[in-house]
Amino acid sequence: MEQKTSVKILSAKQITIQNPLCEEWMENPLEYSEDYVRAVDPDFKQFISAGDARRMGKLLKRALATSLSALQEGGIENPDAIITGTGFGSIENTELFLDALVREGEQLLKPTQFMQSTHNTASSLIGIHTHCHGYNSTYSQKGFSFDSALYDAWMQFCVGRIKSALVGSHDEMSPVFSGFVRKAGHVREGEICSEAAISVLLAENGDNAYCTLEGVKLFDTPSEETLRKVLADMTAGSIDAVMTGMSGNRDNDLWYGFLNAMLPGVPQLKYKPVFGVNFSSSATGFYSAACCIREGRIPAILTTDGKPLECRKGILAVNVVEGRHYSFSLLKPCGK
Amino acid sequence: MEELILKLKQEIIEVLNLEDIKPEDIDNDAPLFGEGLGLDSIDALELIVLMEKNYGIKLQDPAKGKEIFKSINVMADYIQKNRTR
Repeated sequence: MEQKTSVKILSAKQITIQNPLCEEWMENPLEYSEDYVRAVDPDFKQFISAGDARRMGKLLKRALATSLSALQEGGIENPDAIITGTGFGSIENTELFLDALVREGEQLLKPTQFMQSTHNTASSLIGIHTHCHGYNSTYSQKGFSFDSALYDAWMQFCVGRIKSALVGSHDEMSPVFSGFVRKAGHVREGEICSEAAISVLLAENGDNAYCTLEGVKLFDTPSEETLRKVLADMTAGSIDAVMTGMSGNRDNDLWYGFLNAMLPGVPQLKYKPVFGVNFSSSATGFYSAACCIREGRIPAILTTDGKPLECRKGILAVNVVEGRHYSFSLLKPCGK
Repeated sequence: MEELILKLKQEIIEVLNLEDIKPEDIDNDAPLFGEGLGLDSIDALELIVLMEKNYGIKLQDPAKGKEIFKSINVMADYIQKNRTR
């Protein structure tokens, strides 16, 4: 069986703490002084009827809006696979359901809240709404959820099982949950606790692609030798920069220290100060990398020295979670 | 009865999250399911919970819901006759 070596990224859409469903953040990013910020929502009525929306929490509406936008821009109505990552799913409805459970003594529980409190609701909702009844899967691995979903899609492209896939990652953050997340150390001092819904459309073929995905690799506790080999293999054709999950918090940024030694001189980019930190953060980094390659430039807001860069060769997106889980995704301009 | 009907409509709008609908938009005799409001089986479960929580009416036979939830008037009449709170 012929192994695929690249897949096109036909579109990428975001609803985050930046203006939604557009790339205005590249020129005029919204800036925040708060340490907890909810996503900026679009008018959902352009995507979802009031009747359909009434059982959807924020996460589901955002997942559907980014998915439908990505499918529309990419020109694919029915992708072969819908693969979704989410750290904690519709946590707001989960909270409501658990509150009712305690308040009502485990009686009189509302079915809608129960249905929405499961992690795989977003992926199945997208499947139902778009009439895509093919492969549908959800990965829930905290901050490694998107990476796992993307890897699944990549492997299925590689073995020829699918020709297109809608890959997304969606997480919401309620006020109560944001407190728990911070106490547990998932969001650290100096980082904005935020929300994100990202949808990316991948396909073997298609016009006007943002860029191509040339490889995805995941590791659990890799050795230094493994890291060196992976970085050497994936950056062999040269890249413009590395999209890192560095946030400015020292404890978090230490996990990316290996890049200084192993990729000396390669600019390191930071997307977390722009989009905040949540369980779908790595999807935001991937989306940002795809947008930079499409535009052929890296905006000053992402660079460490505050100067814009050209983007003609590609970006390696690197995510490190808890100093243990590593993912590497190589994005290149089309035709390179 | 008028007061109960208005309260019931407001409760249904809230519990089913019918954002764009006002109490006066709901015809007292129109079917709640299928045509009319277009509710479905999940809404029926929500209405069963509403009846028990707000009026102390526990439907022993969920199949009866089809009859009771026929319209706002039928539902209000059933609540009037069977409520315990």
